Amino acid sequence: MGQIDTDTSKWKFAALAVLVAAVVLLPQFVENAFVIDIFIRILLFSFIGVAWNLMGGYAKQLSLGHAAYFGLGAYTATLMQIDFNISPWIGMVAGGIVAMLASLPIGWLCFRLRGPYFTIATLATAQALMLIFLKFRDFAWGAEGTTIPNLGNSPLMMQFESKAAYYYVVLGLLILALLITWRIERSWMGYYLVAIGEDEDAAEAIGVNAPRMKREIYMLSAFLTALAGTFYIQYIYFIDPYTAFSLNISIEAALVAIVGGIGTLWGPVIGTVLLETTSTLLQSWLGSSTGGIQLTVYSLILMAVILWRPTGLMGLFNEMWQRYLGRKPARLRASP
Amino acid sequence: MLETVVQAVINGLLIGGIYALVSIGVTLIFGVVKIVNFAQGEFVMIGMYISYFLATYFGVDPILSLFVSMPVLFIAGVLIQHFLIRRVLGPNDMPQIFLTFALSLLLLNLALLLFTANYRTVHTSYSDQALHFAGFYVPVAKLIAFVVAMGLSGALWVFLQTTDLGKAMRAAAQNRDVATLMGINPNRVFCVAFGAALALAGAAGSLLMPFYSAYPFVGQVFVLMAFVAVVLGTLGNVLGALIASLMMGIAESLGIQFVGADSGLIVVFAMMLLTLAFRPQGLGAGRMR
Repeated sequence: MGQIDTDTSKWKFAALAVLVAAVVLLPQFVENAFVIDIFIRILLFSFIGVAWNLMGGYAKQLSLGHAAYFGLGAYTATLMQIDFNISPWIGMVAGGIVAMLASLPIGWLCFRLRGPYFTIATLATAQALMLIFLKFRDFAWGAEGTTIPNLGNSPLMMQFESKAAYYYVVLGLLILALLITWRIERSWMGYYLVAIGEDEDAAEAIGVNAPRMKREIYMLSAFLTALAGTFYIQYIYFIDPYTAFSLNISIEAALVAIVGGIGTLWGPVIGTVLLETTSTLLQSWLGSSTGGIQLTVYSLILMAVILWRPTGLMGLFNEMWQRYLGRKPARLRASP
Repeated sequence: MLETVVQAVINGLLIGGIYALVSIGVTLIFGVVKIVNFAQGEFVMIGMYISYFLATYFGVDPILSLFVSMPVLFIAGVLIQHFLIRRVLGPNDMPQIFLTFALSLLLLNLALLLFTANYRTVHTSYSDQALHFAGFYVPVAKLIAFVVAMGLSGALWVFLQTTDLGKAMRAAAQNRDVATLMGINPNRVFCVAFGAALALAGAAGSLLMPFYSAYPFVGQVFVLMAFVAVVLGTLGNVLGALIASLMMGIAESLGIQFVGADSGLIVVFAMMLLTLAFRPQGLGAGRMR
């Protein structure tokens, strides 16, 4: 047992080192802006997926409303930048704090419901926030939105000429989120969250303060999601409520985590790689004009994962790895 | 002033009948099968397209196409329950939520691929007609939709109360394990419940067609309304869902009248937040079943 485990961890470490080196060096070898753009999307949605997974994966609080925090982060930073000329680097953190504070009342309402109705409540609050921002014509440009003033190459204002710089910013965010997840996974909080995810009543019966745990992980998840919102708006130089509070953000956050492996450190990253690659291939084959094809394929992948492999790609890889090690193919229990 | 209010209440009540068909479906599935069907709105959309194509290519009146859309969707519901939903029933929420959610995404985007995002309407002889009495204005198409919707809801109520299968469904809703011990085949009951719920959604679609446009996203409007009504009317409670849906229709109509034309959804969300804040267990908790 011990022998195999050290073996496994050596392999894991080597694989991680190779992966990190490849990811860090990638922009040095790839010049094509289109390809870098795809990698930026992969890193960004991995990051959002990891943020979603903290609450959705470990505590099984399945939110479909993370666009609320994405949008709040995006709007906070943009408003600070345009109205007060404050750097989006500061705006990003401010947006995170706004999202954290907003998660308190939203959580207070939504956590009154459990299971699927929690999911609906989160979805509805995100949509309600979008409607509110559509109405804010004087305060936040209403439905027309606004473009972000282009300042050329000014790193202090989070604007860069090379796409590689954006790549490193979002890579940094992803690494931060992965480190946080890794820490929490190994802390008491991680165990409490998994216990809540398994059975909330049982967790409370053995003394887990479930409301507090859910509140805190929701705040953290909201904070990280808001950072992604600021980054995305700075990257595309445009904001409107449909972009910032898009239901697709909420969907993709949950989708990448579930397809990759819900409640695992690397699941959201692997899920994003699969989904974004599929999406890019589809677009290059069919052209981007075919509306609906991307989500049609995503929903088929999601259904296949749920029906045949609820532990996601991570579960599949784990099983293959165990089989390679010659162990009895221990199929992981569906969605622990 | 009072007349405007009464007129808004009439309009709201009429559309509330359609909301009721969707909500009753959601609450029936929730009560019996214990899952939330995120795709319920998409079946309204399918019902609308069935009526649209029957009317456009065969000249069938949209209301009469109910006799096609309801059986088709009933069979679809039985198949979906038997081949998809049955496989994810269990203590975990995740597969149930995301299976029906994936189904919703799939149907919506398939509709987008097949039918494009264009709005499609059917014009009938009664589409623009209205009854006038005591100074109030009652559109005929909406009145027919309301009356048929109430008739179907009533028929479901009678079915649940009097027939063996209906009683078996209520028993399975109250306690699945005991019902199984009493010799009720749960899968059969679930198939009928899912089929009936989808048939109601299909009926809603056909009834909407004379006065509403069909487009791929149309179901989302109705499903959101239904979700709020189902919480407000206490989860799993058919009568509660019916009453709450009519209330939602009236609230939305008053909102449009007095707050602004695009404020219907805001009223819905406000009602949802108020319900969650003050009465998350619903209005009829612990009283009716």
